Amino acid sequence: MARVAVVQIPGVNCEYETARALEVVGLTARIVRWNEPASVWSEFDAYVIPGGFAFQDRIRAGAVAAKLPAVDRIAAEAERGKPVLGICNGAQVLVEAGLVPGLHPGRVEMALAPNRAPRREGYLCRWSWLGVTPGPGSSWYARNVRPGQVIPMPIAHGEGRFLTADPEVQERIEIENLVLYRFVAPSGGRAVRYPFDPNGATLQAAGITNRAGNILAFMPHPERATWLRQVPLELKNAWGESRRAAVGNWEALEGPGPGRILFQSLASNLLSPSAEGARPGREARS
Amino acid sequence: MSAVLLVGLKITDLSAWTALETGRRLLEPGHTLSRIAREQLLLFEPEPGGKAETFERTLGEAVRQSNFFVNPNKERYRFLTSSERGESWSPPDSAWGILSRVREDTRDDGLKARLLREHPMPGLGAIRRAKVWWLWSRGPDGTPAAPYFRETLGELRDQRHGLLVNPHAETAMLLHGATPWSRVDRFLIQPAPALRAAA
Repeated sequence: MARVAVVQIPGVNCEYETARALEVVGLTARIVRWNEPASVWSEFDAYVIPGGFAFQDRIRAGAVAAKLPAVDRIAAEAERGKPVLGICNGAQVLVEAGLVPGLHPGRVEMALAPNRAPRREGYLCRWSWLGVTPGPGSSWYARNVRPGQVIPMPIAHGEGRFLTADPEVQERIEIENLVLYRFVAPSGGRAVRYPFDPNGATLQAAGITNRAGNILAFMPHPERATWLRQVPLELKNAWGESRRAAVGNWEALEGPGPGRILFQSLASNLLSPSAEGARPGREARS
Repeated sequence: MSAVLLVGLKITDLSAWTALETGRRLLEPGHTLSRIAREQLLLFEPEPGGKAETFERTLGEAVRQSNFFVNPNKERYRFLTSSERGESWSPPDSAWGILSRVREDTRDDGLKARLLREHPMPGLGAIRRAKVWWLWSRGPDGTPAAPYFRETLGELRDQRHGLLVNPHAETAMLLHGATPWSRVDRFLIQPAPALRAAA
């Protein structure tokens, strides 16, 4: 049984649906408050920092939460190879804490800046299209994604633009394929303009990993696309067709949505027999 | 010369309060931080070759008599025309400041378009935005120890160093003592320096 901590920082608001999304793929999720004792954190096999507005986005989204002792402890567990997923505000926390891209561990090498697409700024809540570029994070977070697969997923952020002012970091992110998930056009081609490129992020990044691939800062909300019933009827692709075909069919509506693939990937790793035996921190619970 | 509007909260500024609480946890023993305050700065530039006097009167009325820039129930402001602002900008008593701006163009064209729609004023070229954090600090020697506090609370470097400015999205300058407005103007108007050259 793999246990995942869903970190409840004051101001996050997606912890319950994130926990449900983890449970549906066979993981055991527990919502863990940010101020739990130090000893609690090592008990888990993985960590998810969910979306929301930690500390009301005061100073900057993620800035205050990144300084929490809990984030230090999660970083230490990540050092041991445990996976850490930051969703939306959670991604902002990971970037502000210097865990992503983590080229020089601990150093802050990026920002999640306010959205900036031509003639469109500010908060944006809509469905977007994602493609995967294989990289060190593929095994943890995109294991079940087929080559060329386009995954629709909702975004909801005002500060989702991955940005670095360091050309060396930019180059390394590109060379080392740390942009695991990118915003793409519905066809799978490059997102060259709004709305397919919704926020102007560098390299159209929607999700960036660290070099080891076990930490992912992911701006879209997979927990809002984990069940078919969450897919909008008007979505123009196979997922939309499935959703329209499922109207009135409760069983079908409770089937998987496109975002579940990310949680399934995490679960495939955590629940594999080899992971069960070799998981770091296992001894701490026994 | 440009006109300047500084807007801050007169109710409790929870962002500044959180910055104070978070910042204190980053300090080494012997360093104290007694207060942080925050203001938004808007710089009103004349059109190229023009003078700020051509629009300042209308702009001043818009600031004072409409609620376009300021919600008087919660905010206070200082509006300084190009002649009123003088040669230099001095921090509040005993304070020093960190002025930050986005790395990209600081002009807010959307704000300008809305302003001109509601308050037509020929001669206004651009509105530029920045943010200032005022800090009241003391080092072990009793001085404000601005270099130490800037290092610890200014540009973010890692989990222990930096808080108020993420240098990948923003750039900052120190406001210690009287700072010539011409320097502030240049800081807002010129392209941001490269990350490693920022000072």
